[in-house]
Amino acid sequence: MNKILILLTAAIIAAIIFLVPPIKGLGDLAKIIFFHVPTAWVSVIAFFASAFFAAKFLRTSNFSFDKLSERAARLGFIFVLLSTISGAIFSKLTWGAYWNWDPRQTTIFILILIYGAYLTLRAAVADEKVRAKVSAIYSLLSILTVPFLVFIIPRMYFSLHPSPVLNSSGRIEMDSIVLIVLIAAVVDATLIFIQLMRRDFK
Amino acid sequence: MKLFSSRFKQVVAILRKDFLIGMRQRATFAAMMMFALTATASLSLSTGGAFVEPKFLAALLWVVIFFAASAGIAGTFDDEATAGTLPTLKLYADAQAILFGKMIYVFLSLVALTIFILPIFLILFDEPTENFLLLFTTIFLGLIGLAAAGTLTAALTTSATVKGGLFPILLFPVTLPIFLPAISLTEISFTSAAFDMSSLIMIAAFDSILITASSILYDYL
Repeated sequence: MNKILILLTAAIIAAIIFLVPPIKGLGDLAKIIFFHVPTAWVSVIAFFASAFFAAKFLRTSNFSFDKLSERAARLGFIFVLLSTISGAIFSKLTWGAYWNWDPRQTTIFILILIYGAYLTLRAAVADEKVRAKVSAIYSLLSILTVPFLVFIIPRMYFSLHPSPVLNSSGRIEMDSIVLIVLIAAVVDATLIFIQLMRRDFK
Repeated sequence: MKLFSSRFKQVVAILRKDFLIGMRQRATFAAMMMFALTATASLSLSTGGAFVEPKFLAALLWVVIFFAASAGIAGTFDDEATAGTLPTLKLYADAQAILFGKMIYVFLSLVALTIFILPIFLILFDEPTENFLLLFTTIFLGLIGLAAAGTLTAALTTSATVKGGLFPILLFPVTLPIFLPAISLTEISFTSAAFDMSSLIMIAAFDSILITASSILYDYL
């Protein structure tokens, strides 16, 4: 599985460099978008995974679920940082500023804060049983904010962020080669996340 | 009905106990008030009487309330935790009664905090408020959510070894869906612009979600 993932990642990187046409007026660095979208996707997936395992832990008191919840949060934290940095670089190229509290930037920043708070809480509680309970409860409490933030923030701030690939109008405004590479990159990132989650649990 | 009335009695008893302890050792309360006063004074002093835009002022007001509240309610469960009386309290009263008793106590102390700091804030920044009803409703709804999330967060952080700073870090992301609409509503109450009822409904809806979630999650603690 590891070898397949390395090959797939290498193939996608090659495709991004050689196959994908350069984005008009933005230069080669703009291809960082192929890194930004998959990492953003995984950081959201990891957030839900962490909450899912937290709920499982509270129901069963099985500590391996706590370990999984923690691992998902740790991975998610790394992915959300990578996604934020790559997004800021892309934002500098297209909007001329690294940061302007666009709704997407606001939500991803809140995701960083939640991940950071969760990991700080874990670090601050010494007792293993208490730590597992307390962090699972916080994980579930923090996920409640997601639907509200998704609903509130776009109403309060004007967005320049491009629509997601699957936008509300149901049209895909992309070259097919770009779309294929992007979907492959998202799948690849998700598989890398799953593989990292499974490590040591065989 | 009997079950309900006995639980109600327990909630009142917890509330009364916390109130008595709060009155006896005024330190927590005094610290919260002084924190709010210091924060307001430092902000007002540093702007030196210059005109501060309503939008900015609304945000400052909520920042003061948030951090003063954090200073005041972080230790809601600490008395019991240090004295080791929480297990005994749980024998006497239902877990939900403890949670709701504490939550109401926290809410009332936040109301007291606001009654103290809001006039000082408005006077120091010389802010003519146009719509007092909207301002009070917004703060009232905001404090309910802050109390609900704050009480559960306080229960989570009692066992933490690192206390300083942990509480606001945990509370902020959870209460953000309250702050964002509350800040814009507060700004509107300063300027008498037309306001959107749906923002108020949104805060109220999130309040009830926070109360329900705290009640469900507290049972697992």
